Amino acid sequence: MKKEYINYFLIFIPTLILQLALVPLISIDHFTPDLIVILLVYFTLSEGQLHGTIAGALLGFLFDLFSGNLLGLSMFSKTIAAFTAGYFYNENKIEANMAVMNFSLIVFLSAFIDSFFNGIFTDNQSVGIVFMIFEKSLFPAIYTSVVGALIIISLPKRKFL
Amino acid sequence: MQKFFRKLLANFKEYITLVVLLLISLFLLSINNNPGIERFRAISFGTFAYVTSTVHSITNIFKSDTETARLRLENAELMLEVNKLRNHALQNEHLRKMLEMKDTLAYNLLAADVISKLTSKIEGNFIINVGSKHGVEVGMPVINEQGLVGLIIGTAADFSSVRTLENISLNVAVTNQRSGINGILSWNGQRHVIKNIPTTFDMQIGDRIETSEFSTILPPAIPVGIIVEKETEVSGLLSFIYVKPFANVQAVKNLFVVRFVKNTQIDTLETNLLKRIK
Repeated sequence: MKKEYINYFLIFIPTLILQLALVPLISIDHFTPDLIVILLVYFTLSEGQLHGTIAGALLGFLFDLFSGNLLGLSMFSKTIAAFTAGYFYNENKIEANMAVMNFSLIVFLSAFIDSFFNGIFTDNQSVGIVFMIFEKSLFPAIYTSVVGALIIISLPKRKFL
Repeated sequence: MQKFFRKLLANFKEYITLVVLLLISLFLLSINNNPGIERFRAISFGTFAYVTSTVHSITNIFKSDTETARLRLENAELMLEVNKLRNHALQNEHLRKMLEMKDTLAYNLLAADVISKLTSKIEGNFIINVGSKHGVEVGMPVINEQGLVGLIIGTAADFSSVRTLENISLNVAVTNQRSGINGILSWNGQRHVIKNIPTTFDMQIGDRIETSEFSTILPPAIPVGIIVEKETEVSGLLSFIYVKPFANVQAVKNLFVVRFVKNTQIDTLETNLLKRIK
């Protein structure tokens, strides 16, 4: 197993703790950034679509397990989110993809897809599709992409692993 | 043939992986109610909750105050008591003799802290720091000193997960304390609403809403909220009643679990009755 994979996994544990214990403290009207998606997009853009998709499923599964969520819910949505982010992977363009603008746009797209598919499995009879897209998916995705941009700016030499 | 499959696998390995992983997650979703899976989830979520609980206690190191906790408990008990007395006052006007029969409710409260909030606009869930070891069971209502907050939906030894009022999956049978009109309160992602109440029914702005005696999951007479708006639908026959909960679910930190589980015998009798009617 590549050393980087173990490093990513070691980063995942504190990220999960942050996501569950501290991120709700910075919520804006229910909307919280998804740090797991940011980590997942970083991993996918560095390691490729196949590895990203598998990581998405694994991290989603662990998130479901440790958060008391429905088992398989985040696994499903994060697998698709990572798979989508994987379309932007290019071995020769890793640096370009890690640029603030590109990275935050990819995070936005992945977070949107993650939230949308996450919402599909909830009882959404009382909330319309427009509400699902805007309130459930769009606004959290914007917040996540802003936090993603801040993280990528704050990284030394744009690389943490 | 083998070469063809090998080529197919090489060319479409990302898609094949995606489909396999999605099928696994769908399979997991379908077996969530399996007792074995539930036990596995409870153990893992309970174990990890220790970590989030530690982080929570560090972030709240300056806030812990036993006196405040005691006062909060007293407040919650008084809130339930006041609501009961309010009920009694209303009943007293009409059914003075029956009052004594009604006054038999006693609540057993267990203090708890929210250690993690998994909130989105439509699915509010909390994790609290009391569990089956403390006598918490699935289905117990969760309140604060203002009113109903949610319902226990899962327990581990030391932790429990709570489905809050701001969760579209939680529908609560409620009643208007003044007029006795019943309805189902639900969260539409933005507001709490009691749908499909005939316009002729007596539901006024400012009326207090509490849990109904007809609820199969919650004990009666827990304050829920106040009617803030009444909207009549296009046909003019039915109304949407908008309710503002007493408890500010987003800001809640300290809670109480009401150690009450609806009597299963009543549920069995109701089910049998329904079967006979059918």
